[in-house]
Amino acid sequence: MTAISPDAPPIQVRGLSKTYKVGFWFNRTVRALQGLDLEVGPGQIYGLLGPNGAGKSTTIKILMNLVRPSGGTALLFGQPVDRAATRRLVGFLPENPAPYEYLTGREFVTLAGQLCGMSGHELDVRVKEVLGAVEMGAAEKLQIRRYSKGMVQRVALAQALVARPKMLILDEPTSGLDPVGRRQMRDLILAERDRGTTVLFCSHIIPDVEALCDRLAVLVGGRLVREGSVRELLSAQVPTVELVVEGLKMDQVKNLGVALESSQSLDGRVLLQVSDSDSQRLLSQVLAAGGRVNSLQAAKFSLEQLFMDALRDSGRTTSVGGEINT
Amino acid sequence: MSAFGAMVWNGFREARRNRVTVVVGAFAAVVLLSSTLVTEVTVATFDRVLTDFGLGMMSLILVFLTIFLSSGLLSREIERRTIFLVVSKPVSRTQFLLARLAGNMLTLAVLMTAMMLIFVSQLVLFQVELNSVQFVAAAGLWFELLVLTSAGILFSSFAGPAVSAIATTGIYFAGHLANDLFDIARRLDDGAVKSFATALYYMLPNLERMNFRPQATYALPVDVSTFFSGVGYGLGWAALFTAAAIFIFERRDFR
Repeated sequence: MTAISPDAPPIQVRGLSKTYKVGFWFNRTVRALQGLDLEVGPGQIYGLLGPNGAGKSTTIKILMNLVRPSGGTALLFGQPVDRAATRRLVGFLPENPAPYEYLTGREFVTLAGQLCGMSGHELDVRVKEVLGAVEMGAAEKLQIRRYSKGMVQRVALAQALVARPKMLILDEPTSGLDPVGRRQMRDLILAERDRGTTVLFCSHIIPDVEALCDRLAVLVGGRLVREGSVRELLSAQVPTVELVVEGLKMDQVKNLGVALESSQSLDGRVLLQVSDSDSQRLLSQVLAAGGRVNSLQAAKFSLEQLFMDALRDSGRTTSVGGEINT
Repeated sequence: MSAFGAMVWNGFREARRNRVTVVVGAFAAVVLLSSTLVTEVTVATFDRVLTDFGLGMMSLILVFLTIFLSSGLLSREIERRTIFLVVSKPVSRTQFLLARLAGNMLTLAVLMTAMMLIFVSQLVLFQVELNSVQFVAAAGLWFELLVLTSAGILFSSFAGPAVSAIATTGIYFAGHLANDLFDIARRLDDGAVKSFATALYYMLPNLERMNFRPQATYALPVDVSTFFSGVGYGLGWAALFTAAAIFIFERRDFR
């Protein structure tokens, strides 16, 4: 068996697929992942973005050996994901983490350290350190069954950090947190990146992904539909302009003969989005038809738009779930 | 402490924190009440009844507890998703399963030791003669609990707690009726039914081979070879159930 290579890419995924068999007789299938290719380089914060059922959590569960792939390969630091020793380098925070409720926060993080081979004084010091980092030092002696959801999330992050992992895999780390908690979680993730830790981060909260990630993959229906650095992906978007028009009804605007990216009625006004190249023509047509332009501004390039475009381009009629075959 | 040791200790700690130890109190109360009753209603067989009742009650309580604990040992971890935070660490699923089994058996050993202390105290209090077969019977019970725990873990590796509990209870009753099944099979004339009954006997663990309570009650000696063949038989079944559980558990998806 080859040794773990810390220099190998933290994550390499080739042609990964997963089909779940469901139903009483296991005669229906759900294709949760279809031929996924990914590579996460060292020191990156890599985001997995996608709607519910896009395959994000399945990808993460395959990487953590919780789910067996139906096809393809998944490697952590150049080693197959089912090799237990590889997971020594990885800290994992699952979605809605469920630590043992009968343990105190301190006992649980200590157990996590022991499972990673730590012991003695080194473990005691490290447990104190990570509980302090997630601001759970004061509640460390309380049983977890008495924690709030935010406290559970913090102690679960502490267990992921306790063995000083070279990579963190975080599934929806900010879900269920209040704004302050979200901000602290984001700061912790950035601090870990600054220490050289690679972070694979999965979320459907777009502002979190936008604020944190260096690179990004957008999954829809188990397929990769966009991949690249956040800057590259945003700069590839078609620039658009937003206009707020008064004095014209929606059907009048639609008959002006200009292709609209989107349109929406708001209190007698019409909110239009049009490509930059068509904006001047739309403006003159609106004025010629007797309408009044209340405001006109360049639309901000956003991941949300990218996400919606990716969803539309994927040709799926619904954003939710994998491909179901009966 | 090693990763395996930490998981075993955690299994014991779980049982302790979830107040499983209350069964020792229940046993003490039942033993106390029974001995009061026994002194009232028996004349000559007082020693036997006290031993029989004490060991029988210990067996009943511990078997009930074993079925309750083992039938949810894996399935509850999967349902509650606590397993995510353990098997994502550098431990194999096999290690996890064996540690859960060992943690359960440690819990049962501690509870049984506490119950034996109460039982022996009761015998001393009522000036009933202590003999080694009473301890042999307790040791046999522990191996019977090992077989039931491994059966519970096997069922819990693919089914929910309720189904596992029902199936493990079935193993318990079938296991104690196995000798009767074998006797019936011997007396049958119909070849096919006889073969079926004999096959069924060999497909089920015969828990009577670890049951030395009747000998303890009548203070009959248990020879070493009988004890160790019973223990070996129990270990064989426990290994078989555990191997099957590992085979299934290693291939399961945790969704």
